Amino acid sequence: MTFREKLESGKFVITAEAGPPKGTDISEMVHHIELLRGKVDAINITDNQSAVMRMNSLSGCVICLQYGVEPVLQMTCRDRNRIGLQSDLLGAYALGIRNVLCMTGDHVSAGDHKDAKPVYDIESVGLLRVVSGLNEGKDMMGNALKGKTDFFIGAVVTPEANPLEPQLMKFEKKIKAGARFFQTQAVYDMERLKEFMRFARQYPVKIIAGLVVLKSAGMANFLNTNVPGIRVPQELIDELKAAGKEKALDTGLNITARHIRQIYEEKICDGVHIMAIGMEDKVPVILERAGLI
Amino acid sequence: MIITKKKDFQELYENIKGYKSFFLLGCSECATLCGTGGEPELKEMKEALESLGREVTGTFVAKTGCQVLGTKVELKPFKEAIDKAECIIVLSCGAGTQTAVELYEDKPVYPANDSMFLGNMTRLQMFDERCSLCGKCILDKTGGICPLTTCPKGLLHGPCGGMKDGHCEVSPELQCAWVRIYERMKRLNKLDELRNLMMEPKEWSQSQKPRRQYEKKEKTKK
Repeated sequence: MTFREKLESGKFVITAEAGPPKGTDISEMVHHIELLRGKVDAINITDNQSAVMRMNSLSGCVICLQYGVEPVLQMTCRDRNRIGLQSDLLGAYALGIRNVLCMTGDHVSAGDHKDAKPVYDIESVGLLRVVSGLNEGKDMMGNALKGKTDFFIGAVVTPEANPLEPQLMKFEKKIKAGARFFQTQAVYDMERLKEFMRFARQYPVKIIAGLVVLKSAGMANFLNTNVPGIRVPQELIDELKAAGKEKALDTGLNITARHIRQIYEEKICDGVHIMAIGMEDKVPVILERAGLI
Repeated sequence: MIITKKKDFQELYENIKGYKSFFLLGCSECATLCGTGGEPELKEMKEALESLGREVTGTFVAKTGCQVLGTKVELKPFKEAIDKAECIIVLSCGAGTQTAVELYEDKPVYPANDSMFLGNMTRLQMFDERCSLCGKCILDKTGGICPLTTCPKGLLHGPCGGMKDGHCEVSPELQCAWVRIYERMKRLNKLDELRNLMMEPKEWSQSQKPRRQYEKKEKTKK
């Protein structure tokens, strides 16, 4: 069953993330893909994440397919204009990629090529409309395509954005523009996630909760202070502190596993997306502890 | 107005060190307000050049340096001083510099300033960019605040995931353009309008360079 079939038939999905290398040596990425094969439904391949130049997402997705895992093509609008985006999407489809996650993309000032010209010819909502059009056999100008795409279209949402209402309006616009599934920014507060879901459930879209493993109380504080749209509740920080340095990571893995279990059992969301950020090898352990493999 | 800043003198000097005599041209409009091309700056430049053993044959602050014909007429009385100068230094924006290039085909012309953006002066010599001159105004849809200019990503449908407590991730000292638009539309009781707004992809063809506006002439022709 594909990622799309699973989500659309109401089954719980698990996705993870892999970043293409900075360079041509794909061994580490392949290792991560192999580690996750059979344990997750799809792997997001990041698109020059944090505006750091790497191998492109499209190639990463093809490699992912070669190693037997379904990829989710992350596509940002930072580096390509509307011609480049559409052209890459057609190529992606022809190469067997079926899921695309549309994002605006981190600003170049966050990355390692700060003098690059940020493109943003269109942005996330515009890109969603473009992919919807390609699915109907039309390019952005309405020209007919010889062979159309049939992408499963995804987008991102930040349930902990502050203020929240403009973010929710944008979420609605993304749905209008064709998004069928959403992956969220990292969430840590299950009660607040439920609150967001009460809003999101008005719409016929699938929501996959984003999870980032906490390695320590220090990391949790760092996220709270520095990363927009992430809020780690104090009780989790206390739990990590109480665990002490040696057991902090293990506690962090337990917290993520516990959240996954709760999201699954209480059917809070339609799946989980684990962003391991350098700890891809821990994903199987988390899933085991969550009782999902 | 067009916001300019002075180039580092050393950078300018590298360009002009081979010349012995100069005519200095400023502008009474934007460059004067920016403190980059009015009387005081011309005086300062004159003194700097003279202290390096160079001759300044004359200085003039044009009324509107980007107005080619007007500037040409204004500069007529300075013909002798300009003829005597080996080089012209323009203390205004890039448009003013290119007026001088057009008027003095045989003379080298160098800019003393960097031209930055179309800005609003919020306080004395404090400037903010609020309009990008994109050629197709969308302020009618966004509560009079331009997200194309005041959001680093030029977003058209709302804040990005980088918005933090109402502020911009790229320039944390700035309020998020989309939070400002949201707040304003809320104040104007127009949140529904904002909620239903789907913006068409930007028509970048409207800002294809070089831009020209010859409407009056074209009308006369007809």
